[in-house]
Amino acid sequence: MTVEPKQNKLLCVSSSPHLRAHDSTRTVMLDVLIALCPLLLWGCYIFGMRALTLTVISVASCLLFELLFNLITKKEITIGDLSAAVTGVLLAYNLPHTLPLWMPVVGAFFSIVVVKMLFGGLGKNVVNPALAGRACMLLSFTSAMSVSPVLTRLGLFESYLPADAVSGSTPLSLVLNPGETVVSLSNEQLFDMFLGNECGTIGEVSALLILFGFLYLLMRRVISWHIPLTFLGTVALITYLLPAKGFERFDYTYTLGHLLSGGLMLAAVFMATDYVTCPITTKGRIIFGIGCGVLTVLVRYFAKQEGASYAVLAMNLLVYYIDKITAPRPFGSSPSSKVKKKKKNGQEEKL
Amino acid sequence: MAFTFKGGIHPDPRKNTRKTPVVQITPPASVHIPMSMHIGVPCTPCVKVGDVVDKGQVIGTIPEDRLGCPVHASISGKVTAIEERCTGKDGAVCTVTIENDYQNRIAPGVAPFEGDARNLTSEQIVKVVRAAGIVGMGGASFPTYAKIEGAIGRVTGMIVNGAECEPYITANHRLLLEQPERVVGGIKILLKALSLRSAVLAVEANKIDAVKAVAALDFDPEMIRICVMKTKYPQGDERRLIHALTGKEIPAGKLPTDIGYVVFNVETCAAVYDAFVTGMPSVERIVTVDGGCVQSPANLLVPIGTPVRDLLSYCDTDVDRIGKLIAGGPMMGRALCLDDTPVTKGTSAILAFEKREALKQQKTTACIRCGRCLSACPSRLMPREIYRAFLKGDTEKCSELSAPLCVECGSCSYVCPAKLDLTQAVSGAKARLKAIKRTNVPPPKQEQIEQTKNICSPEKS
Repeated sequence: MTVEPKQNKLLCVSSSPHLRAHDSTRTVMLDVLIALCPLLLWGCYIFGMRALTLTVISVASCLLFELLFNLITKKEITIGDLSAAVTGVLLAYNLPHTLPLWMPVVGAFFSIVVVKMLFGGLGKNVVNPALAGRACMLLSFTSAMSVSPVLTRLGLFESYLPADAVSGSTPLSLVLNPGETVVSLSNEQLFDMFLGNECGTIGEVSALLILFGFLYLLMRRVISWHIPLTFLGTVALITYLLPAKGFERFDYTYTLGHLLSGGLMLAAVFMATDYVTCPITTKGRIIFGIGCGVLTVLVRYFAKQEGASYAVLAMNLLVYYIDKITAPRPFGSSPSSKVKKKKKNGQEEKL
Repeated sequence: MAFTFKGGIHPDPRKNTRKTPVVQITPPASVHIPMSMHIGVPCTPCVKVGDVVDKGQVIGTIPEDRLGCPVHASISGKVTAIEERCTGKDGAVCTVTIENDYQNRIAPGVAPFEGDARNLTSEQIVKVVRAAGIVGMGGASFPTYAKIEGAIGRVTGMIVNGAECEPYITANHRLLLEQPERVVGGIKILLKALSLRSAVLAVEANKIDAVKAVAALDFDPEMIRICVMKTKYPQGDERRLIHALTGKEIPAGKLPTDIGYVVFNVETCAAVYDAFVTGMPSVERIVTVDGGCVQSPANLLVPIGTPVRDLLSYCDTDVDRIGKLIAGGPMMGRALCLDDTPVTKGTSAILAFEKREALKQQKTTACIRCGRCLSACPSRLMPREIYRAFLKGDTEKCSELSAPLCVECGSCSYVCPAKLDLTQAVSGAKARLKAIKRTNVPPPKQEQIEQTKNICSPEKS
């Protein structure tokens, strides 16, 4: 059998590997968005359609700021990777639904332009943009950012008028301040907190749906279990063994109260696991999770306010060092390779 | 409990040809036999244009004291050209072209081993293996005789590698399934050469039928222990294999023999067996032909030097749709630029990928620090860090990060969601460090960065 020789038709060449996994930055971000979706539906159900309005404003302004930044700096347009959309959604989920509609734009500006793009864009930011945006807003608009202790449903563009002298308490304040009235949380209260039938920010209330998102991300292998479980585990362990002053030791309702209230779950599953701002080694991720847990409890005990987001922000700053000390030992290199390195440096100094 | 290592990836296995028996390809009209199909010194042709050669006749020789082994004619016919050709590996290589006369004459020297097969000495075995031109057929193409020589008296364990972890390739699988006696026979000879009692045959768990075929043979189970490995890429890498089976890590810069082990590929064992039983040197091998353009994927028994084009047309390939042609597996194989490149002793597969599959523009993004390359790296390196250091031209950092330990398995590039060319950068860093070690002078930094721009698509910033 002879084949007609095709004279020197050159084919495309490239270096190996010639197969690539299907996952791309975009699909990873899309998976995170999918995992976040149920929380928005729940937010709309419990807080009214205004939750949707705020989220849309936040996402749109995040995308817009990134696009504008790309255009002004004449760089490649990067909004297609959807990371700005994830930041937008996470930022909105940390806002109370009663917030004036223009405020998320300010937060988005801080998140995208100051925290992310000025540091070099995707992958180069040091702290989580959504959390930094929230922290900035909390400092700037302290009263507007505080969660109303009464559940109110608001329509699409309905603005919130604070009622006078409302007394009540958010679930978080129950575990922060040892009150005379509340000894321990009842099972009904805990169950409501688990379902998300409580007041709070748009996306943080339903522990159940956050867990669903966690399972989805685990299943899609977008995140590993290390950070969320060590983070939550540390909080659980400390609150069980060493509760704050005025609470009883070994009280599981107190521990559950801590786990289910505030933004802890949302931070542990969606914020602390942000690839860019968490360590890249598995060992480092465990250290990071434990650190986040310890700092959260410390802030909650001593500052009497939600500490999860501050804990994550603080740990973000340590990632560089965590990565450095947890670098894996390369296959076949001797465990004492550090000594060698020092020797090498010494030699060079001599030269 | 399957043996395995830490790290690695699980690519889609795509072993489409696992149930396709090996068939002999139609005799090719001509073959182009490269004089260098092994690591070492290239052979010198000992035939002239116009000479008539027989199958199994030596056509390339090499001095006894140099590393390398002779090359043989894989068909009978007339030598029509001796010229430099692209073989897909080392650029242009001196190649002998033989036009087939379809006589299938066997060279007079090809005869079964004469002498007492029961009392073979190591020296005899090394001599026969060298004369037969046998090289490692798993892909590295290290001369087998040299491996045996280096291992005599130094090793305590012999491992036979039938892991075949690359996607698509089923050549070793079919060999174990169809002709296990050749493999086992080769193992027996190699054990004798090394004066060892027993060997371990490592096979991935997706080839249980092959394991059964081998186990059904009549041999001392003490002599060949079959270990089922977890199906994972790169399980067949010899460092990973030894670590999985023995728990020992080969220190950086050392060889398996330094810690007392030697690894042979299953097809190499079969070639050793042939060299003694039929006397036929290494002139053909099993090649898996597959890929999106190949309509009837197959395992072919191919004379060395057959142009890849012949294999493709035998398997009904739509040549016009080919976007990328790969010699070897999709993870570590080389992309060929011409379809008349010959099959060499190290070619385990020919894959023809479609245009849309191969030329799809992979949009790269900045690294998102997902850490997947770290957990995939079987050498426990930090590909991302080496990539960044390499792009900056920071060779010292690359060396600190142990870039030379990379085995270029491609796992990091495979998993990278940002689609960065991590493997390319790490192997570039490795090559640069090697060059510096050789010349002892690092090139100027700016020049390094310029070079890098040519090799790698730089990270968008």
